[in-house]
Amino acid sequence: MVDRPAYPGTPRWVKISGIVVGVMILLAVVLVVSGIGGPHGPGRHLSLPNASEGPPAGDDL
Amino acid sequence: MIMPPTVRKIVLVAHIVSSVGSLGAVASFLALALIALTGQNAQMMGSAYVAMEITARLVIVPLVLASLLTGIIQSLGTAWGLFRHYWVLAKLLLTLFTLVVLLLKLKGISYMALAETTSMSTDLLGLRRSVVLHATGGLIVLLLTTVLSVFKPRGMTPFGWRRQYRGDNGTAHK
Repeated sequence: MVDRPAYPGTPRWVKISGIVVGVMILLAVVLVVSGIGGPHGPGRHLSLPNASEGPPAGDDL
Repeated sequence: MIMPPTVRKIVLVAHIVSSVGSLGAVASFLALALIALTGQNAQMMGSAYVAMEITARLVIVPLVLASLLTGIIQSLGTAWGLFRHYWVLAKLLLTLFTLVVLLLKLKGISYMALAETTSMSTDLLGLRRSVVLHATGGLIVLLLTTVLSVFKPRGMTPFGWRRQYRGDNGTAHK
């Protein structure tokens, strides 16, 4: 019976991509929390725009 | 279940057409969004937002959805699998992310088209900038998925590694 070789580990490109994605998420969070990115969040995206009201919550989506 | 070669090629063609088509559609959408953001002519800006809404609802959303579905069918019907290789998993997550953001932005796009065509007196600069920013992000993400499809960077997930050495590996290409 042949033993299964050990898992070679996560490739470098996956690790680097993970770091880049993490930094981008962190940056987005900082922008939103600091208010630079304007009001944000699912509620703003999901708010139904109505012609009789203002734009969907805030100056941004 | 591995698909027969003919079926696999049909699904592959559908996947390529929908994926690359969505890339082109988002590029057109971004061009319209930039014109609407920087333009001075109110009539042209209104037309741009109406065109953007139509493009988003009738072209981009169906193409991204088709790309996602054909990609899932293609991966499950070949030896690549959906969770065995990191590049396939990355494409799945990126396409899902694109679709979710797109669906969330649709209401804002419709609002802008409505506001422009009915001359509503609301300040939509923030919305306009947001649409340009998200369209640019969407274009980059779709370009990344195309690059992943072509280069297929190596690397199996622990799940894929276990499956490969359990004896059900294959070499069919996606």
